[in-house]
Amino acid sequence: MRKYLTRSVALIGAVALLTLSACFSEREGAPAAGASGSAAPAKGFAADALIGVALPSKTSENWVLAGDLFTNGLKEAGFTSDVQYAGASTTVADQQAQISAMVTKGAKVIVIGATDAAQLTTQVKQAKEAGAVVIAYDRLITNTPDVDYYIAFDNFKVGQLQGQALLDGMKAKKPEGPWTVELFSGSPDDNNSGVFFNGAMDVLKPAIDSGDVVVGSGQTDIKQTAIQGWKAENAQSRMDSLLTSTYNGDKKLDGVLSPNDTLARAIITSVKGAGKDIPVVTGQDSEVESVKSIMAGEQYSTINKDTRKLVAETIGMVKSLQAGTEPTINDKDSYDNGQKVVPAYLLPPVIVTKDNAAESYANDPKLAPLTQG
Amino acid sequence: MTSAPVLLEMRSITKTFPGVTALSDVNLEVRQGEIHAICGENGAGKSTLMKVLSGVHPHGTYTGDIVYQGEQVRFSDIRASEQAGIVIIHQELALVPGMSITENIFLGNEPRGRFGIDWKAAQRRALELMEQVGLQEDPDTLVKDIGVGKQQLVEIAKAFAKDVKLLILDEPTAALNEADSRHLLDLLRGIRGRGVTSIIISHKLNEIEAVADTITILRDGRTIESLDVKADGVNEDRIVRGMVGRELHSRFPEHTPKIGEVFFEVRDWTVRHPISADRLVCKGSSFTVRRGEIVGFAGLMGAGRTELAMSLFGRSYGVYLSGQIFKDGEEVRLRTVSDAIAHGLAYVSEDRKAIGLNLLDDIKTSMVAAKLSKVAHHGVIDPVREYRYAEEYRQSLRVKTPNVDEGVTKLSGGNQQKVVLAKWMFTDPDLLILDEPTRGIDVGAKYEIYGIIQRLADQGKGVIVISSELPELIGLCDRIYTVFEGTVTGEVSRAEADPELLMKQMTSTKKTPIR
Amino acid sequence: MSRIKDLQKNLFGGTTSNARQFGMIFTLVAIVLLFQIWTDGLTLTSGNLIAVVSQYSYILILAIGMLMVIVAGHIDLSVGSVAAFTGIVVAKAMQEFSLPWPVGILLGLAVGALIGAWQGFWVAYVGVPAFIVTLAGMLLFRGGNQYIGNADTVPVSEGFRTIGAGFLPEVGPDTGYNNLTLLLGLAACAGVIWRELKSRQTRREMNADVAPMWISVLRMAVMVGVIVFATLRFAGGRVGTSLPISGIILIVLVLAYSHYTRNTIGGRHIYAVGGNSRAAELSGVKLRRVNFLVMMNMSVLAALAGMIFVARSSASGPQDGLSWELDAIAAVFIGGAAVSGGLGTISGSIVGGLVMALLNNGLQLEGVGSDMVQIIKGLVLLLAVAFDVYNKSQGRFSIIGSLMRPFRRDDPPPPTDRPSPASDAGKAPVAG
Repeated sequence: MRKYLTRSVALIGAVALLTLSACFSEREGAPAAGASGSAAPAKGFAADALIGVALPSKTSENWVLAGDLFTNGLKEAGFTSDVQYAGASTTVADQQAQISAMVTKGAKVIVIGATDAAQLTTQVKQAKEAGAVVIAYDRLITNTPDVDYYIAFDNFKVGQLQGQALLDGMKAKKPEGPWTVELFSGSPDDNNSGVFFNGAMDVLKPAIDSGDVVVGSGQTDIKQTAIQGWKAENAQSRMDSLLTSTYNGDKKLDGVLSPNDTLARAIITSVKGAGKDIPVVTGQDSEVESVKSIMAGEQYSTINKDTRKLVAETIGMVKSLQAGTEPTINDKDSYDNGQKVVPAYLLPPVIVTKDNAAESYANDPKLAPLTQG
Repeated sequence: MTSAPVLLEMRSITKTFPGVTALSDVNLEVRQGEIHAICGENGAGKSTLMKVLSGVHPHGTYTGDIVYQGEQVRFSDIRASEQAGIVIIHQELALVPGMSITENIFLGNEPRGRFGIDWKAAQRRALELMEQVGLQEDPDTLVKDIGVGKQQLVEIAKAFAKDVKLLILDEPTAALNEADSRHLLDLLRGIRGRGVTSIIISHKLNEIEAVADTITILRDGRTIESLDVKADGVNEDRIVRGMVGRELHSRFPEHTPKIGEVFFEVRDWTVRHPISADRLVCKGSSFTVRRGEIVGFAGLMGAGRTELAMSLFGRSYGVYLSGQIFKDGEEVRLRTVSDAIAHGLAYVSEDRKAIGLNLLDDIKTSMVAAKLSKVAHHGVIDPVREYRYAEEYRQSLRVKTPNVDEGVTKLSGGNQQKVVLAKWMFTDPDLLILDEPTRGIDVGAKYEIYGIIQRLADQGKGVIVISSELPELIGLCDRIYTVFEGTVTGEVSRAEADPELLMKQMTSTKKTPIR
Repeated sequence: MSRIKDLQKNLFGGTTSNARQFGMIFTLVAIVLLFQIWTDGLTLTSGNLIAVVSQYSYILILAIGMLMVIVAGHIDLSVGSVAAFTGIVVAKAMQEFSLPWPVGILLGLAVGALIGAWQGFWVAYVGVPAFIVTLAGMLLFRGGNQYIGNADTVPVSEGFRTIGAGFLPEVGPDTGYNNLTLLLGLAACAGVIWRELKSRQTRREMNADVAPMWISVLRMAVMVGVIVFATLRFAGGRVGTSLPISGIILIVLVLAYSHYTRNTIGGRHIYAVGGNSRAAELSGVKLRRVNFLVMMNMSVLAALAGMIFVARSSASGPQDGLSWELDAIAAVFIGGAAVSGGLGTISGSIVGGLVMALLNNGLQLEGVGSDMVQIIKGLVLLLAVAFDVYNKSQGRFSIIGSLMRPFRRDDPPPPTDRPSPASDAGKAPVAG
């Protein structure tokens, strides 16, 4: 036994030595510089470097379009791209793994459209330590000091535009108030939902306080107005119950604040089902069906957040980083993610109604034909 | 009768299972329009023979020829044999309880109409068939709402719907009461008149004597003889002689009992059915067991022997109502199986595959399963001790296996039974209750099991043997209790035990003969 | 063929069942090598291995509990929701009452135990099928998560993050490696050698055939080689990284539960209940208690997994735990457990989980989209089990079954047509 033991130990030692000599350690002398704080890379990186793009699951037209634009745009710019969507049912965990994989593959810039803005801390830190620049795309990544830039449409502005459109639309139909409205907001787990809602309330609040605008059901708190998961069926069932509880009989509904197009159409369906006149309904995203609806005079407005522009700006940012120059930012103060103020580049959204649709979508190959005649 | 043409001839049928030869060179000749009974002990090969005939064991898994209506046939499955007009009705009826009589009669054989099933035609035909079998019920009645006897008739009507030429009935009256049995036998005579041939397998020799034209007797997988009931003047004794074929005593090892004092006693044991609250499965049963004694429990199916045993064994069956258990003079309360095991009881169930063994286990795991604490320190099992115990039992019980790491399913029935016995011997019991310990195992293995039982008794343990085979009880036991409808109805000593006396007590009231 | 079998037998242990367990490991190695080549060596880099371990440790922890549930003949669909519920309770409690993080972890385990007791009660004492109880639990605790968290994402403290995103500290001299990881590796090597020698001794005591010494040495060398390789990989990552804390938790759990299921009375009772519950009951196994404990244990592990995920994500969110139950169940079945219960091992489930994890990781490194990844994983699950079923029905070597009962259990033979030869046993007496 003892003899065997010594022999086996010797053998094992030999194996260990052999493997050791293969020089396994990936450690560099010191930890990667700048583990937090300023991101500006001093020198830039190779022109064909890998750029990772991690997007949420393919549940809306916009994300699919963005993915395609990133793939093509990055390729045209000479980069190697890796564009990933999270799985439909395992969003957060999937996105975490995808970002890790991008870090492993040595991506220089990682653009993240977060599924859950607060749950990427570990991956973003990992990216940072590996020397990658992290750009939060459309949704701000919170709860971490390791995000470098934020690029998005100005969502507060979106809300303001929606609120204004609601007021304008109602005035156009019925010059004198008071107007009766209902409020809807987005999914409570989406950071942006609150931003939209607050923007809209920024405009509507004075009118509500003065009594010009009356919320029929009295539901003005975001917890009451939220639509779980941005789901049309949830919006429709909330509208159905509002109509039953508040608008039975002759009571008239003048307007509905809807945070996006999917919900707007659900709300219109519900109102139609109840046999009521269609109120002024706002929207956002310029979805094909909603643009049709606007042209048909049903939905009142939507917001044009041109995904092409946003992607183009993001790629522009990547190019500056590659060249080693500081990318353009236009807001250094507003976006505090809880750990740092993230430098942001905000694009202005555009409100679209039947009047300016043709003009707004002139460059959009899919939407432009819908606005003709 | 002998003048009728031969409908079916099975020649030199041999069928083996791993480790066991179930049928060896069996011949059977059935004539057109007769009622042919097949008799034999448990394990004689009756059911296997019928499974060969009906295609359950397809052509190719046995050797020998089947000639049916003058042609050699090779059935690949039951459907093939049914198409040839051979229908088998098993002991467990193949009916769907939640369907109506009509639906059951035409299950898998539905009359097609232009739009799916033609229920009108089915209804009409069902009424005809029900009349033929003498079943007076609304054809829309659900099968679960009629009695077992009528269900049996539905089965036969179902067979008629398939244009049956040869009807095989496996223990058709086992679950029937007197009146239903008589009706069924009358029906058999009736269909004989219409030219349908039937084969009946039954243990009830009085019925066979009453209804059969020809009897073929099987023993240990061989054809012993074919008797023409009228010509040979056959009676029950004649059949028994053929079935047993040898002196009972040679089937049991020599044994001189060493009986001590009473150590286990049950008084007024009363238990009700687990579901129906008004049904008592044990009614005031009392009995005693002495050290070193082998005590038999005889009773008909449904008499409540198993229920009695299981309810004693940690209340594993039914709902305990009243009664006391005394062990070594003191009353013990056995509320759970672990209590029972702790007090030295062991119960070897009648169905070792369904509830006696975990068929996924290997031999050694099975053997120690009922008292793992014996091979463990602080809850951790010592594989060496486990292995040694298992080896010990393998050798002492002569389990035929290369090693104790084999899975139990690889063993034959007899060897599996030895494993189950080892499992319970391992718990060091004072009283072993063996429920049908030799069911489904062959004669050689039976002899060994008897030897083991006798050795256990000689070690001073009490052994209770529950068996449906009276010869087994008479040959093995020192004392026999009879059970009828949940009550111990009699006690017979070894010296006075004979089948007739036992049978009388097992049925309690005098039965009217079936003629 | 027989010579190959002999070699297998000698290399992988005395019995054929030992030889079989290497089938699945072989599959795992094949996947690793495939991706190692395909990704130009990225798969086995320190960074990637560390990421894989921390990404999938919580699924593997679930697989441990799920294996026991499935072996006992049940299923648990609620694990993801229980994990999410525990996560939000712990995160919220720490936020609102400023609990120190160790208290938070204890609270989480207590919540898991309570939920487990709830589900165990319905399964074991009321007799509602686990499928239904846990389907209800899935809705119940998912709703609970949203109710308590308001569908918000609640961040957790830095200390708490250790269990999900933490690493071993750097101590001692600068060796170019993480010293504590090296020590763990050393301990693992010693453990492997000790175990091999112990098992030789055991076999000798049983008077069973003992494989020649060179076989043992070779086997030890292979295992030690793997451990040394892994140790150096995990110790040689970026400074500040090591074998992740979650990986250490996983290893401890795997060792503890393997020992429990394989070598203890309690573990054997689980197999007995799953194999034949009536037989187990009649052998003195306390059926209800086993079922209760198995369900309860699952929820405790789900709670732990949930907390590890929250720690790694640094926040508890409304989407935590979505479809985790499916990953855990898939791992267990790929690892060779039987749907009907009674069969399966912890190590098998872990290997099954690793197959899924490395497949996922490799495909992601290759930039394959998550839609395709799901399709491929679905096919792998189906094919792995189908292949196994087919092989078993052919009575041949079963790759998946290889892991079923590495050290103590053998596969049942194929379900051939083999009824009891004398099944005509009737209850009526022979002679009247």
